[in-house]
Amino acid sequence: MTARSLFIPVTLFLVIAFLIGPFLIIVAASFSAGETLAFPPQGFSLRWIAKVFTVESFRASFGMSLFLAIGGTAAALVLGIPASYALSRYKLPGAEIVRTVVSAPIIVPGIIVGLALLRYIVVPFQVGITPALFLAHTALVLPYAVRVVSASLDNLRSDIEEAAVLLGSSRLGAFFRVVMPNIRGGIMSAFILGFVTSFNQVPVSLFLSGPGVRTLPVDMIAYMEIVFDPSVAALSSLLAFLSIGIVFLAERFLGFSRYV
Amino acid sequence: MFQNRTEALALALPAAIFAAAVFLVPVVILLSDGFRAPAGGWTISAYTDFFSNPLNQAVFLRTLRLGALVTIASAVIGYAAAFAIVSLEPGAKGKVTGLVVLPLMISPVARTYAWIVILGRTGIVNQAFQALGITEAPLRILFSETAIFIGLLQLFLPLMIISLISALENMPKDAIPAARVLGANWFQVFWKVVLPLTKEGLVIGGTLVFTGSLTAYITPAILGGSKVLMLETLLYQQVSVSNNFVAASVIAFILIVMSFAANILLKRVATARNKQRSPQ
Amino acid sequence: MNKVILASGAALMLTIGAAQTPALAQQKTLTISVYALAQDEYKQIVYEPFEKICGCKLVVETGNSVERIAKMEANKANPVVDMAVVSMADALAASRAGLIDKIDTSKLSNFGKLYDVAKDPNKDGMSVGYTFYATSIAYRSDKMKIESWADLLKPEYASHVAWPNVTTNQGPPALYMLGQALGKDTPDLKAPIEAVGAKKGELVTFYEKSSQLVQLMQQEEIWAAPIGRFTWAPFTKLGFPIAWAMPKEGQTGGMNVMILTKGAKNQELALQFMDYWLSTEVQTKLAEKLIDSPANKDVKLSDAIANNLTYGEETAKSLKLIPSAVALDNRAGWLKTWNEKVGQ
Repeated sequence: MTARSLFIPVTLFLVIAFLIGPFLIIVAASFSAGETLAFPPQGFSLRWIAKVFTVESFRASFGMSLFLAIGGTAAALVLGIPASYALSRYKLPGAEIVRTVVSAPIIVPGIIVGLALLRYIVVPFQVGITPALFLAHTALVLPYAVRVVSASLDNLRSDIEEAAVLLGSSRLGAFFRVVMPNIRGGIMSAFILGFVTSFNQVPVSLFLSGPGVRTLPVDMIAYMEIVFDPSVAALSSLLAFLSIGIVFLAERFLGFSRYV
Repeated sequence: MFQNRTEALALALPAAIFAAAVFLVPVVILLSDGFRAPAGGWTISAYTDFFSNPLNQAVFLRTLRLGALVTIASAVIGYAAAFAIVSLEPGAKGKVTGLVVLPLMISPVARTYAWIVILGRTGIVNQAFQALGITEAPLRILFSETAIFIGLLQLFLPLMIISLISALENMPKDAIPAARVLGANWFQVFWKVVLPLTKEGLVIGGTLVFTGSLTAYITPAILGGSKVLMLETLLYQQVSVSNNFVAASVIAFILIVMSFAANILLKRVATARNKQRSPQ
Repeated sequence: MNKVILASGAALMLTIGAAQTPALAQQKTLTISVYALAQDEYKQIVYEPFEKICGCKLVVETGNSVERIAKMEANKANPVVDMAVVSMADALAASRAGLIDKIDTSKLSNFGKLYDVAKDPNKDGMSVGYTFYATSIAYRSDKMKIESWADLLKPEYASHVAWPNVTTNQGPPALYMLGQALGKDTPDLKAPIEAVGAKKGELVTFYEKSSQLVQLMQQEEIWAAPIGRFTWAPFTKLGFPIAWAMPKEGQTGGMNVMILTKGAKNQELALQFMDYWLSTEVQTKLAEKLIDSPANKDVKLSDAIANNLTYGEETAKSLKLIPSAVALDNRAGWLKTWNEKVGQ
């Protein structure tokens, strides 16, 4: 029994130390006075945090990344929720094909996606940089949207909406009144997963970004091509704290972790 | 199950058409370059050429090996962690899950640099090893397969843990106590009860981890570099140094096939367990 | 359907205030493509003053040389950027691919002030050098003594050396100098690659990004690495005795050049911008911030600044550069040999 009661805390401690350790180094470096990442950090200062806000291109690319992550994920959900519903509740002809097509973006290396889109969509159809990035990010998030929403639909018993339909509700009405409230957490998880995927996306954005339009990770990599100073660490910590804030609020109001 | 086909298609087609037009068609055109013969017609000679080169064979095997090791390690650790997490109080569960998800939100580039600090010769791991007397001279962990393994595991373990948490939560609550009452030991409980009931989570998590490990670029490039080439590093070289898009599409297609194969293999493994269980 | 997505995207843009201010239809726009280095300083010293002079708007693309050339190639039929700055070898590659036009140097009032080596680096009239840099070895003078490029491979040093990967801008020049030190300097770099390959177990790493090196130097993981002079400044701030080697084989290096996109919409404006960038005033300011070593011979610098740059015509001439054509013709071969000897 002792072995078992020790198992849980020890496992959790080791796993979390492994997963969070690098993050702590990054946070420590953000407040360091030194010129590089170091542990223990060399002195304390806020200069790297301050520097993040003075690098002008970070602001523009942060806006772009936020737009792509929110807009792309929202668009993916608009496309993905009906598709998930069809996959989960209907006898859909060619269901496996639909599932494979919408999931495909996960398994193709990002460099190839970026290159293919640039050569066969952006150039021939003269798509602007921002719309191209938007389309690409929507496609990249779609697999997560369909997968997570399908999973939460599969966990929801289908007889409630069938009952609602039998009781005279329209199919659409049943969906919005009965199904949506119950998969809210699943949608929220899909949104967060999609947001994170889009926000950290590098290779696809690398090829599709262009003059005046860049995403934050691409900008960070460009900045780090030559110099790596703790301002990149500071930026990463700020973003992580922002994400923690969002997740905390989502958890608080929607209890999403039950559905992840 | 609703039977209305038109309705089903109306719901599913927008997503499918979008993914096909924006993603699948351009990628397929690009990949088809790898099968085109210079004189017209189709050929697989680019692939036979690729695999006849001993360097490519070595890189292919290393990529496969690292992908498999990361997937297996994340499955083993993932089950332990997911068990521990689902057994927590609801409030604590949410917080711990949050901590597990946290690394997903940190830029892979910054994370990789943190590993340089941790794994270096003067880094924390070596300091601890030397203090404990495990090793006298500092170990060279950085820029090796071990470093890539550690980096990839940290990058993708959260995906496995999350998939397994939801799988374990959907498992009937009395399955484990019932098996224990019937006299099964913990190993048997895991093998005969838990694994079959959580196979969906394992297949999803395993596919995500394996595919992620194959297609990660930054981690192997910085923690391994050209000392420890991976397929993705070769792919990147072909695109951005040699501008050889045919060679690039060959490597990309190999990576895609590997991902599909892993997915099928994982499904097989999980189903094989299931069949063993059913006669009981 | 795309319209719906775009419309909802546009709506989102407005709500989160991320809308890129679109260039006014009447206003002239010049699109330039540059290295990501020190963009805040460039903005202050070059871009904003130029926008005031020309009454136009500058749109900037950043990235490494090869990636940006690849994009220019993809957009060949309908060029996006008007001018770009790239490495000498990439300029030749762009010229061979038919991506760029001859530069009419009679329109550059500052052309006569350039060092001769910068005037037409590839001897084809397609590019003008704006900065050059030496590549040598940064090393811990308390730990080692570097007199030759071959010293880096000495058994007592090799396990504390990072070597540039062959795919980086510093890789081939460093190998070229090692070849000279070994007395086997064929253009295929076979001997130096083999020599490096033989030591691959000991060498710390083959670096991809110079930013890694500062970190590794600070952790004392490495004591020495071949680097370009433009990345030197951060090493001086680490608090270690770090010296810039003057190997007996000499220093190598590279030159960055300006090119003009073929069929660009604003060639006149692009030439005006190039001329401004080459002016004594702008070149002096960029040098004083330790960003670019000047290619304009009228630039006068204090010793303190000059010592941290690659300054003066004599220095420029003494650099042993790999000719662009050699670099371009051998690139694929170098990578192949490298992967075989180092990657396996």
